Amino acid sequence: MKLSEALQEKKKQILSIWIDRTLNSYTSSDFFKRSQDHIANPVGANIRAGLTTVFELLLQEAAPEDYTTALDQVVRIRAVQDFTPSQAVVPFLELKWVVRQVLADDKKTSSLIQDLAKLECEIERVALAAFDIYTTCREQLHQVRVQELKSGSYILTDTPCVSSLLRERKKGPDNIN
Amino acid sequence: MAIVKVDKLAKSVAQGPSLMTGSYPTMDWMDVPAVFKPGNFAYPAKVDIVNYLNKQQGLHFPNAREWSPLDDDWKLPENWKEIIIDGLRERLDKFRSLKIFMDCCVRCGACADKCHFFLGTGDPKNMPVMRAELLRSIYRNDFTLAGKIFGKMAGAREMTVGVIKEWFMYSYQCTECRRCSVYCPYGIDTAEVTMMLRELLHLVGVGINWILEPVSNSNRTGNHMGLQPHTFKDNVSFLCDDIENLTGVKVEPTFNRKGAEILFITPSADVFAEPGLYTAMGYLLLFHHIGLDYTWSTYASEGGNFGLFTSNEVMKKLNAKMYAEAKRLGVKYIIGGECGHMWRVLHQYMDTMNGPADFLEVPKSPITGTMFDNTASTKMVHISEFTADLIKHGKLNIDKSRNDHVIPTWHDSCNPARAMGLLEEPRYILDHVVNRWHEMPENCIREQTYCCGSGTGLNTDEIMELRMRSGLPRANSVKYVHDKHGVNTLACVCAIDRATLTSLMNYWVPEVRVAGLSELVANSLVMEGEQRQELTDGLRTLL
Repeated sequence: MKLSEALQEKKKQILSIWIDRTLNSYTSSDFFKRSQDHIANPVGANIRAGLTTVFELLLQEAAPEDYTTALDQVVRIRAVQDFTPSQAVVPFLELKWVVRQVLADDKKTSSLIQDLAKLECEIERVALAAFDIYTTCREQLHQVRVQELKSGSYILTDTPCVSSLLRERKKGPDNIN
Repeated sequence: MAIVKVDKLAKSVAQGPSLMTGSYPTMDWMDVPAVFKPGNFAYPAKVDIVNYLNKQQGLHFPNAREWSPLDDDWKLPENWKEIIIDGLRERLDKFRSLKIFMDCCVRCGACADKCHFFLGTGDPKNMPVMRAELLRSIYRNDFTLAGKIFGKMAGAREMTVGVIKEWFMYSYQCTECRRCSVYCPYGIDTAEVTMMLRELLHLVGVGINWILEPVSNSNRTGNHMGLQPHTFKDNVSFLCDDIENLTGVKVEPTFNRKGAEILFITPSADVFAEPGLYTAMGYLLLFHHIGLDYTWSTYASEGGNFGLFTSNEVMKKLNAKMYAEAKRLGVKYIIGGECGHMWRVLHQYMDTMNGPADFLEVPKSPITGTMFDNTASTKMVHISEFTADLIKHGKLNIDKSRNDHVIPTWHDSCNPARAMGLLEEPRYILDHVVNRWHEMPENCIREQTYCCGSGTGLNTDEIMELRMRSGLPRANSVKYVHDKHGVNTLACVCAIDRATLTSLMNYWVPEVRVAGLSELVANSLVMEGEQRQELTDGLRTLL
C-alpha cells in the first residue's frame, strides 16, 4: 500500500483524532466537539471545516496559496482567543503526531512511517503559513483598535466639551488633540 | 438541549503526548482563580469620576482609589466582606426576582451553550448557569440552611477576595443580552444576576471607567459624550448642512421648543460618531419629509443609559430626564430613536422607576392617526414602529432603487428584540425600502439573535480581543450570508451595535459595513423640492 492510499483510507480516523485534540485546547470542549451546527457552534464548526480542508489539500499536494482560506478559518479564531502565538498555530504541527499514531496502530500501514518525510515537511510549511496568517490577524486586530479610536467613539471617555477644550488650550497648543 | 452537570462541566482530557498546551482543567471550578492580564479586563474607573458620582444625591460610590486588576491587592475596604454580604442580603430582600433566580435553577444546562462569551471562549465560567453559580455559591453559603450545614457539598463556598476578582472577571464578560434567558425553562433572567454582581462590586469600589465616565457625563450634561447644549445643537446643524449638500433640502430642526407635539430622544452617538451620524441624518430627513411637529432636547440628549450597567439607583436617576424634559416642554409624547438598551430600561423599568407619565398622552401618529396602544403606559414610541406605520399608510414617497448599492441582512439588536419584542417592524421597513435583503439562519435571529459582544459598556478598545471572541457567533452568521448571498450591509437599530459591529466586521468580515435602519429609510426617500446629487452611496456619498 502506498502512503497516499493509506492516508486516504485512514482519513476519517486521522481527522477525528486531530480535530478532537485541537478542540481539547478549550477548557470546556464537549459542546465544541459535539455540535455540528455551523451557526450554533462557530468555534467547533469552523475548526472542523478548516482542518478537514487542510488535510484534503495535503492529500492533493495542493499549491501553498490554496491553503490560505482554510488556514484563515482556523487561525483567525485562535488569534483572538486566550492562546499564546505558539498555542494558536500548534494544531497544524500536531497533525504529524496524529498521522504517525494512526499509521503505527495498523500492521498494514505501520511500515509506511518511514515514507513520511515529505508529508511532514509539507505540514511544517503549512504551520509556518499559519503563523503568517496569525501575525496578519494580530495586525488587523490592532488596526481595528486604531480605527475605533479615530472614529470618534473614544470621545466617550475624553469629554471634548468646549470647557474641557478651553482647559486643554490653557495648557498650551501642543496638548490639543 | 445540552445536558450538562456543573461538576462535569469542564472534563476533557488529552490523551497521548501532545504539543498542545491549552487550558485543560485539572482543578474543580471553585479552585481555578481568575487571572488578569492586559487585554482581558477593562480599565478601572478614575478616582475623580468615582468621587464625583459619590457626591451625587442618592448615589453611593465609595472607595475611590488608584488600583489595577493586575495587582494582588485591590485595596478593598477593610470590612469588604461584611459590605458584600450585607449588600447581598439587602438585594435579596428588595428584589424578589433575585431570590427566585438564586433558588430555582435546576442546572439543566439549557443555557450553557447559548452564551456568545462561552461560544467564543470555551471558558465554562462563561456558561450563564456557571456565571450565576459564582453568586449562587455565596448565597448558599450565607443564606441557605443546606449551604450552612453541608458547605461545598451543597455547592456553597466562602466569600473571599478571589471570589471578588472572579465576579469582576465574569460580570464584565456578560453583555446582559439575555439570549440565555430565552432558553431557560424557568425564565431566569441571567442579565439581572450580572446586574446584581456589578452592583455588589460597586459597593467596594470595583467598577470600570468606560461605564462610569459616561454615567458621570450623563449626570452632568445629559449625554454620554459630555456634550453641552450648544455643542449638541452644533453637531445636529452640521448634519443638516450635509443633508443640504447631498439632497438640496434644507432641514431645520428645533431644540428645546416648548409646545412641540413630540419630543425626540436618541443616543448621543447618533449625532457624533460614525456610522451613527448617517442614522441621525435619516431621522432628520424622515421627520422633514412628513412635516412632523417635534423638537430635540439638548438636556434629554441621550437615549442610552449606562446606569443599567451600573446600579438600579443610577439607572433611575439618569432615566428621569426623559419624562422631566417631556413635562417641561409640554409635549404630548416621546419618540425614541435607534438605541438598544434604552428600550430595555424603558420597556421594563421606566414605568415603575420614573412613571406614571400621566401628564403625557397615549402616542397617536399625527400623520396616520394610528394610536400606539402598546405604549399606553410609557408614552414612548420606537422610531421603527412609527416609520412602519407611515409606510403601511403610504405616507412616504419611496424609491427603493436608491438603495440598490446595499444588500442588507438584519441584525436584531438584543434589547429591542428580546426586551420589547421589536421583530416585525424593522423587517417590514426593510421590505419596503430595499429591493433585496437576506435573513441570517433561523437560530441566530429574532429572539435568538446573537449579541454584538460589546454591549453593557464593554465597547472599550482595551479589551478588543475579548470583544472579537464574544462577537464571533454574530460575525460568523454574518459571514455565512455574505458568502451565500453577497450581503454587504449589516442593518440594525442600536447605537452600540453601530459602533461595535463596525469593529467586529472590520476583523471578521471586512466586506460588510454597518448601517442604521433609518439611514436606509432616508436613502430611499424622494424629498419634496430635492435637488439630489448622484448619491451612489446614499447618505454616505462623498461629494
